[in-house]
Amino acid sequence: MHYFAPQQSVATGDETHRSSSGEGMSRTLQLALQESREITPMGIAGEEGGTDRVPQSALFPDGTKNFDEDEEEIQVEGELTDVDGINPEMKLSDLTDAQIIRLTQDLQEEESARRPLISPIEPLSELAEEYATGSRTVVDKLSYLERIGWRGVRRTRGDGDCFYRSLAFSYVERLLLAPDPALAVAMSLSTLQETRHLLDEAGFQQLVYEDFYDVLVRLISSIISPPGPYEPLLSSPGLLAAFQDAETSNSIVVYLRLLTSGYIRAHEEEFLPYLFSPDTGDLLDTRDFCEREVEASGKEADHVQEMALARALNLCVRIAYLDNSLGGQGAEGKVDFVTFESEQEGGNGMHEIALLYRPGHFDILETRDTE
Amino acid sequence: MATILTKRLNKELREMQTHGLPTGITIVRADDLSEWLLSVEVLGNTLYEGEKFCLRFEFPHNYPIDSPAVTFVADDKWTAPVHPHVYSNGHICASILGPEWSPVLSVVSVCLTLQSMLASCTSKQRPPDNDKYVSHAPRNPKNTRFHYDDDTV
Repeated sequence: MHYFAPQQSVATGDETHRSSSGEGMSRTLQLALQESREITPMGIAGEEGGTDRVPQSALFPDGTKNFDEDEEEIQVEGELTDVDGINPEMKLSDLTDAQIIRLTQDLQEEESARRPLISPIEPLSELAEEYATGSRTVVDKLSYLERIGWRGVRRTRGDGDCFYRSLAFSYVERLLLAPDPALAVAMSLSTLQETRHLLDEAGFQQLVYEDFYDVLVRLISSIISPPGPYEPLLSSPGLLAAFQDAETSNSIVVYLRLLTSGYIRAHEEEFLPYLFSPDTGDLLDTRDFCEREVEASGKEADHVQEMALARALNLCVRIAYLDNSLGGQGAEGKVDFVTFESEQEGGNGMHEIALLYRPGHFDILETRDTE
Repeated sequence: MATILTKRLNKELREMQTHGLPTGITIVRADDLSEWLLSVEVLGNTLYEGEKFCLRFEFPHNYPIDSPAVTFVADDKWTAPVHPHVYSNGHICASILGPEWSPVLSVVSVCLTLQSMLASCTSKQRPPDNDKYVSHAPRNPKNTRFHYDDDTV
């Protein structure tokens, strides 16, 4: 591990910082609360020949590159005046601890209220409308996706967990909608049971992962057997509600992170050349990479994590790159898909899992345009 | 609602009670699910020989998905260790308590990490900005955004 260097923090009322920002408390607090997330420009060639993941500019309609920052920029404004005895003119150092804590909680709640962890399906055309005055390339790509059958998008919150959450939702939804759910669920549970060995081998104590595992297994089992007396089988609205519930949703995200880490650790020789720190570009050893870039909450996934998780779950995952590059195979407006395949993936008539990637963020592609 | 918190802390407690704690670490108080105190001694030939410190763990409602607030107790009875990453008010600058927190960490593993941080210390001193930080610090260290880049200590 590494330690914090004892340099001054923003939240403690650093004089230089506060005076240079010139915007009083709200800006200071915003900086203090903001977890800035960087786009991770590391690319391993995908299995179809590869699209390097290079940050493109102006990918979001308002010109921001990063979804996470976009969200947090908005959250602070306008909400500060109503907090007891606090007004936007005050500086952070004027506030009592209680006021700071209250303010922090309010902002976090405000953030939660603003966008659910995962949203109902909306037509892909609505996403295109957001780009109407922006990138023509992106609009063309969205209409290409629609033409090939991806009519809807299910958005996830931009909190750094979006890859894991999107994949988890799609994974369970695919079982729920399978032609033979009993078979699909049985196969999935058997795969998940096996994944526990990966975690054991990675050295995780059972007590640190079993609660998260149980949440995922209970949800999947409820597709075919009621979770308790008088409780219904899992339905599509029930699935959405489960993934909007912070504890359930985040527990599943944690399990998938641990699984990803366990898979990378178990296949170290394969992944080692690609284990870079997204911040410094330095090569990391397997343990450091897994602890800092996989297990740590809110760390975004890149190719290594995507490939590892797809393989650990025996899944085929396709990721559509919605960026400003011109189509990879020469056709304008065409969208590059990177596919992570697993050898054992049978399919059994189940639909494919496809995610939509915009630099810094993942959502889910759906063939339906509404719930 | 906080079922994961309850399950996890009960398991951690049971584990500590049935399998015992690592050398140098003892439970001072763990009788509820909001705050635990554990004492830490650094055994062997180190700068902290003969000293005993107390760690306070405060658990957020979504522990272990979210990190506990961990501080060295600094009151009439206990003092925080003199260490380049420990402020005199007990706040600790360690990445695993901030952005590198992961739910695979536990109360015991945090204690062990901090014990080893003390054990490897080569120079007993406070952080250079100790006075400035302590005079402005929020009560909860999780409201501080530390800058971290030092792997060496």
